[in-house]
Amino acid sequence: MTALLILFLTAIAVLFAGLTKRSLLQPLSLFGTLLALGATGYDLFGPGFGWGMEYASMFRFMPFAHAFSGVAILATVLIIALSGWGFRNLNSTLGDHYGLILFSLTGALILFSFTNLTMLFLGIEILSIPLYVLAGSRRDDLSSNEAALKYFLMGSFATGILLFGMALIYGATASFDLGTISRVIGNGDQMPGMLKVGILIMIMGLSFKVSAVPFHFWAPDVYQGSPNLITAFMATVVKTAGFAAFYRLFAIAFPGAEGFWSVPVALVAALTMTVANITAIFQQDFKRMMAYSSISHAGYLLLAVLAIGTEGADRALLFYTLTYSLATICAFGAFIIVAEQTGNSSFEAFNGLGKKQPLVAAVLTLSMLSLAGIPPLAGFFGKYFLFTAAFAKYPWLIVLAVINSAISIYYYFKIIIAMYFNREDSQEATLEIPAGVRLAVLVGLALIAWLTLAPGSVYGLI
Amino acid sequence: MSLIFILIPFIASAILLLLRPAGLSRHLALVAALANLAATAYCVCCDYSQGMTCTFSVPWVASAGIHFSLGMDGITLIMLVLTNLLAPLIILTSWDHKFDNEPRYYGLVLMMLAALNGVFLAQDGLVFYIFYELALIPIYFICAIWGGQDRIRVTLKFFIYTFVGSLFMLVALLWVYLQTNVNGAHSFAWADLVAVQLSPAAAHWVLVGFFIAFAVKMPVFPLHTWQPDTYVTSPTTGTMLLSGIMLKMGAYGVIRWMVPLAPEAMHFVDPLFISLAVIGIIYASIIAVKQSDIKRLVAYSSIAHVGLIAAGILAWNKTGVQGGIIQMLNHGINVVGLFFVVDLLERRLGTRSLADMGGIAKSAPKFATLFMIIVLGSVAVPLTNGFPGEFLLLNGVWNYNFWLGVLAGLTIIFGAVYMLRAYGLVVFGEPTPATERFEDVNTREFLVLGIIAGLVIVLGFFPQSILGLTEASVDRILSVVQF
Repeated sequence: MTALLILFLTAIAVLFAGLTKRSLLQPLSLFGTLLALGATGYDLFGPGFGWGMEYASMFRFMPFAHAFSGVAILATVLIIALSGWGFRNLNSTLGDHYGLILFSLTGALILFSFTNLTMLFLGIEILSIPLYVLAGSRRDDLSSNEAALKYFLMGSFATGILLFGMALIYGATASFDLGTISRVIGNGDQMPGMLKVGILIMIMGLSFKVSAVPFHFWAPDVYQGSPNLITAFMATVVKTAGFAAFYRLFAIAFPGAEGFWSVPVALVAALTMTVANITAIFQQDFKRMMAYSSISHAGYLLLAVLAIGTEGADRALLFYTLTYSLATICAFGAFIIVAEQTGNSSFEAFNGLGKKQPLVAAVLTLSMLSLAGIPPLAGFFGKYFLFTAAFAKYPWLIVLAVINSAISIYYYFKIIIAMYFNREDSQEATLEIPAGVRLAVLVGLALIAWLTLAPGSVYGLI
Repeated sequence: MSLIFILIPFIASAILLLLRPAGLSRHLALVAALANLAATAYCVCCDYSQGMTCTFSVPWVASAGIHFSLGMDGITLIMLVLTNLLAPLIILTSWDHKFDNEPRYYGLVLMMLAALNGVFLAQDGLVFYIFYELALIPIYFICAIWGGQDRIRVTLKFFIYTFVGSLFMLVALLWVYLQTNVNGAHSFAWADLVAVQLSPAAAHWVLVGFFIAFAVKMPVFPLHTWQPDTYVTSPTTGTMLLSGIMLKMGAYGVIRWMVPLAPEAMHFVDPLFISLAVIGIIYASIIAVKQSDIKRLVAYSSIAHVGLIAAGILAWNKTGVQGGIIQMLNHGINVVGLFFVVDLLERRLGTRSLADMGGIAKSAPKFATLFMIIVLGSVAVPLTNGFPGEFLLLNGVWNYNFWLGVLAGLTIIFGAVYMLRAYGLVVFGEPTPATERFEDVNTREFLVLGIIAGLVIVLGFFPQSILGLTEASVDRILSVVQF
């Protein structure tokens, strides 16, 4: 709760500062998010602030919410650290950018803590609406405009479906409160048809939000068209928030109906990982590849939803989102250095990077290996925890997931191959590495290394 | 104690990769490898009759039952001897090469060394898996950065092939792990995994999962198709690491993990596994006889030799397992020697084709003599190091099934045919203009080949020195695992 307030106040302060002192914006946002991170850490590791347990039965900040808030805020801190350089070409709208990112983050925090369907809806809207604007923030760029429009249309469509599902569930259970819904489902002998349809429709709506197949088709265009850092934000914070909400809703409200919803979710998971991984193989553009990679990770993350009720499912989700976010941000940090100086975002832009910029190449290599889940990197532990959690219930899905991780090596390694093994260079110009970017990716890398050496430190948190 | 085998090369590797000391890299690499060799020599003197010694265990992910635990017994010791004895030799063989970005090269070699030691020391299932995979990353980069033609395609095939194989092992390992119950929690410790009683149907799948992983690595027919291309494309150091040490991870995994974890179904699937291994022996030998490229020939000979090791171990009797362990060491020594010879030939003549060689005995007598000793060891002539291992292995297979033993025995005949044919074509016959100017070995090359030839003879005369070290450990693992 404290973190939520800090972020909200920082966002307002940033909006006002944007009118007068532009140079203050990044330090101010960084300060605010770090303060929020500290508050979350105090809640999680220390005695905590003690307030925020329950607000009019709307949200409840438990260790689950604190831990996921930590992941989302940390990801935002790193993205803001990258932004000093990533946003260098923005003029009048810089304040709006930071403000919108922070507002979006407060939406994510609500999604980690809601106990009422109303707050789920509000959280998703607070998270999404700033992003519609941010996606289109390169106003002179046609693809950015296209991304914003697509994202907005699809996003509002999904929200509509979600609302429809909520209405049906309300009709069946006469409550928006997650606990009450769960009790009603638990008491009833058989589920009314309205409830079943409601749950199915909510699965569809949430699948849109987390870009799971077959509701994913907006993602590649939006990821490619949006400004690079906004794409990184969508791939990390938004994904984390979407899955935490998905998990929370089904773990608190619908565990009694698991026999009904687990098969459709399993099918969506199987489709998501397979389709996304196979499509990713054919991509030639880094951002498009990362979009499909992010969809495929959504497929793995759905395993956590399927594992609800198994010991360690929430921990696995937490660990996975953290390692995935860190690796993705590091990869985007390296990518903006390359793409924005060469003006080329295809794989060829990376040719010979291993020789020209060993640091950037090493960062990108480790991120790719971690995303591919190669032991002993942190990404491997993420996959390992997820797969173990869901193994007892869905062995066939785990075998499929394992095969998919093997497929994913192919496209992640394309970048490594370009950087180290393609001997012909695409360009001779040396690349500069701005200090902020260097710091951010090194911090991200250090955290990946820490998670590799001591995965238990995060896995044991909640 | 056991931790230093991993720490020394790992720290040295980190120094090389991060600080990039340009001129000193190979010296640092050699010093680290020699330090490891010294530690191994110290460990040879320990007593291994009482089970695991030098154990080291810290919780890694305590809530999930994962411990970073290492330990040594006689079997592990021989694998460490293999790894740490060959590592300095392998580094010395590349001493005269000019690589671009030398620190990165030696850094990756040392990282490989750390991972290999970790594989052999691991006493926790997940730690074993992690080191098993970690070994793959440096060798992939070594082969793909410094390899020859078509290296990108070949090495990616190699990586995906072996990675997919290991994923099957991961699933099998997970299955066993989820059946463990130590005070209400799961555990990855070796003893806890072995204690699990699987149903025969589950044990089937677990065995198949492990077998795929190890069969890809060794490699066993029909999962060997990555191997010849990778060996030929890799730089010689990479080939030596792969054939000398990395293949043995698979055979070691069979002894330590595959059979002990799921002995319940061995009766049903073992005949299939051994038959595949024996088919591989004959298949690879026949192809080796027809090869005209000497590097490819040695690669196929390696498939045949490792196939015999696999067959002997899978027979799962004392002579077979003992023979497998001693032969892993000896095959490692011989194959590194052979690949070094191939490298010397290729560097001096600019070709690997047997048709372009001949008459080297005149211009390079020292080279020809040392080459001869290594070839004899590889052919398993009595009183060379190849003999006791192959004899015990064949005896083990023979005890398992007479006809399989006979078929596997063909490897000795075929081995003699293709190795002596290659030796004859290289060393005897009419010299060509290129081979007339063939320089004899220089001091450093003489040192490496001399050490290898010395080991061929010494280990041939005193096989008991090795067998005695492993006997107690082999007895223990055979008594724990019965089927």
